[in-house]
Amino acid sequence: MSVESPFIISIPQESLSLLQQKLRLASFPDELDDAGWDYGAPLTDIRRLVARWSNGYDWRYHEAQLNTELPQFTRAIDVGGHGALNVHYVHKKSDAEYAIPLLFVHGWPGSFFEARKLVPLLTRGSPDHPSFHVVAISLPGFGFSEAPRKKGFNLDQYAEVCNKLMLSLGYNEYVTQGGDWGFIITRRMAHLYGPKYVKAWHTNFPGGTFPSLLGQPLSFLTMLFHFLFPSFNPQMQAGFDKTQKFIQSGSGYNAIQSTKPQTLGYSMADSPVGLLAWIYEKLVVCADGYAWDDDEVLTWISIYWFSRAGPTAAARIYYEVGGGNTQKLGELMGTPEYTASIPHGISRFPGEVAILPKSWAKSNRKIVFDREHERGGHFAAYERPVDVCGDLRDMFGRGGPAFGVVKGRDGYNS
Amino acid sequence: MSTENAFQISVPDDSLSLLRQKLALVSLPDELEDAGWEYGVPLADIRRLVDRWANGYDWRHHEALLNAELPQFTRDIPVDGHGTLNIHYIHKKSDTKTAIPLLFVHGWPGSFFEARKLVPLLTQNSEHHPSFHVVAISLPGYGFSKAPSKKRFDMDQYAEVCNKLMLALGYDEYVTQGGDWGFLITRKIAHLYGPRHSKAWHTNFPGGQPPSLFTQPLDFLSMLINGLTAKEKEGLQRVQHFIATGCGYSAEQGTKPQTLGYSLADSPVGLLAWIYEKLVAWTDQYPWKDDEVLTWVSIYWFSRAGPAAAGRIYFEVGEGEPAKQMARFSAHESTSIPLGISRFPGEIVCFPKSWSKNLGKIVFDREHDGGGHFAAYEKPEALSGDLRDMFGQGGPAFGVVKGRNGYD
Repeated sequence: MSVESPFIISIPQESLSLLQQKLRLASFPDELDDAGWDYGAPLTDIRRLVARWSNGYDWRYHEAQLNTELPQFTRAIDVGGHGALNVHYVHKKSDAEYAIPLLFVHGWPGSFFEARKLVPLLTRGSPDHPSFHVVAISLPGFGFSEAPRKKGFNLDQYAEVCNKLMLSLGYNEYVTQGGDWGFIITRRMAHLYGPKYVKAWHTNFPGGTFPSLLGQPLSFLTMLFHFLFPSFNPQMQAGFDKTQKFIQSGSGYNAIQSTKPQTLGYSMADSPVGLLAWIYEKLVVCADGYAWDDDEVLTWISIYWFSRAGPTAAARIYYEVGGGNTQKLGELMGTPEYTASIPHGISRFPGEVAILPKSWAKSNRKIVFDREHERGGHFAAYERPVDVCGDLRDMFGRGGPAFGVVKGRDGYNS
Repeated sequence: MSTENAFQISVPDDSLSLLRQKLALVSLPDELEDAGWEYGVPLADIRRLVDRWANGYDWRHHEALLNAELPQFTRDIPVDGHGTLNIHYIHKKSDTKTAIPLLFVHGWPGSFFEARKLVPLLTQNSEHHPSFHVVAISLPGYGFSKAPSKKRFDMDQYAEVCNKLMLALGYDEYVTQGGDWGFLITRKIAHLYGPRHSKAWHTNFPGGQPPSLFTQPLDFLSMLINGLTAKEKEGLQRVQHFIATGCGYSAEQGTKPQTLGYSLADSPVGLLAWIYEKLVAWTDQYPWKDDEVLTWVSIYWFSRAGPAAAGRIYFEVGEGEPAKQMARFSAHESTSIPLGISRFPGEIVCFPKSWSKNLGKIVFDREHDGGGHFAAYEKPEALSGDLRDMFGQGGPAFGVVKGRNGYD
């Protein structure tokens, strides 16, 4: 049976030394005049961050803070065909007796760290709103979880690990929250394990499928109309433009990670500067004007640098789930898995990388909650924790559309 | 006026020392069991190459060899809107005074180094075949040339640098040979400067488009009726495979070359893997020796502009959109000068022959049984043979350059 061990992040001193040695030898590229962000992360930003990382940034301080705020554990989880993987997770219980078990699933370049601000909000007990027992998993290959050793660790395997974790914690019924890969994984979980184990799922990365004439005639006709008269709905057109721009000019990382993650991985494992730039670019471009603090960025990226499996392993999810070619991931995103046996909630943030018409999410989902926000981007749980928490409370609270989905755990004390 | 300076590769001791220090601190990633080449370069290969690079590989030896074999120079070339760039190039003259001036243009991840084996063959004197004065340019941002400092250094600019270099060397008329980016650049040279300066062009990386009813009605109908030959189908499947699984480097370099550049500039092992993957995937079972690979990659590592600059060509040509980049490759560019094509079966983009018809005035088109993308390096004899046949007495492009037909 799986045995839980408490876990404290405690990076060996020699790892910190090695990082410092590498940073001291950092070599920077040139940059074109007035490049701005056009060609990628600007040189001044990276120079400044590297200077801070080698002088002034205190990993031990942030490590201690994380350990204080987030109770962490590890346990071995057996995954069919892949043996046992040691999985790391945050598990913070609420004071509320009947809190709702909620699994938070991150994506790339995210980690359990993304849930940092959400955890205290969700676990807080109050008669006025529901509260949650929060589990934030480090997906295999991320954070302090082991990485898969064999090829073919695919969507079903990620879903299996997540489900088994919740069951092993005694949460036979639970709800999920996820964005980015967390959306794709929790959607698969809803498909495979709902309604028996997964009772409801919420996402901030709605995605969607182009409506079909037969399946969603009204949506289809709306699209046809829009193609003929795009100026009639400028907001919808703006969403398409943004999405298209991301696909055309912002998805190079996706192309390389879904085809040659090992080749890229040599850089990521060897160069903290390279890893920093690779992730920092996304933190800025995909968030909605979030005012990143340098130390915040460095902690986020240090988690990748110091990760148990090393920085290379994380990107393999693109290859495994994307099928080793560049088209499959897009297809996967757009393919509507059947999840309508359980209620679904959506929070829409304007800075998200892909903005599709609301009706496109309908296919094969039972949407009971759909709220738009004025601010916030891809890393919603981190950028707008109050909004995400508020939405979850409204979705699952008394009078809410998913109230009481988990038997005997409605989120309140009585 | 531009003044030429003799150039010897002489990497500072500091740079060698820094490389050694970085290699001593190298951190290698994990790898999945039985990964093979599926996920990218295998760990065993990189481990071995890194060990050799840190221990045993002698850059000074290879540097000296290059300096001995390849007479090199630099000179300032002004480029409209981009100021003056100091350009590095090989210039090896044949003993035959009236040899044909030939400009060799490399691509990515190539360099002047690709011409290493071709140069002695092309410059060789003989009454049986023509000889050439060979100029192998280091494109701006590659080898020991300076990189552009402004945005939008595009095909026209690369062509301008190349043409100006040949003119500065006194070659008012010349021919070109190019593959990879060298194909697009020499096509642009043919388009802009032919027939006034560029008199003929040869490529081992022919682009092209499927025939349409309007452009090539007979070929179009033939394709519909007869389909493609087994060989052509196989070639297209390889293109498909390349696009689906082998173009990630191009997508990243074409959208965020700066972001990628931090890795390539800081990590020699990262750079090694990035390039080595293509050296193996794009060649036709070429038996790379470790020191050969390391010299090839060291040229990038020690390049004047640093390893990040070279990838920018992808961004500029596609204006930040990889789809546009591909479109530029396939788009028609009108040229009036004779064109020669050499086809190597291991090339990454192998279109059916009928697709190249509109490339230009094809006077020479030969298929080979072996060889891949880096044809000049893998099959220098075959390539020089083709150039000799194309430009030699009785050949379809004999005497294109006034007063320099390649013979005494």
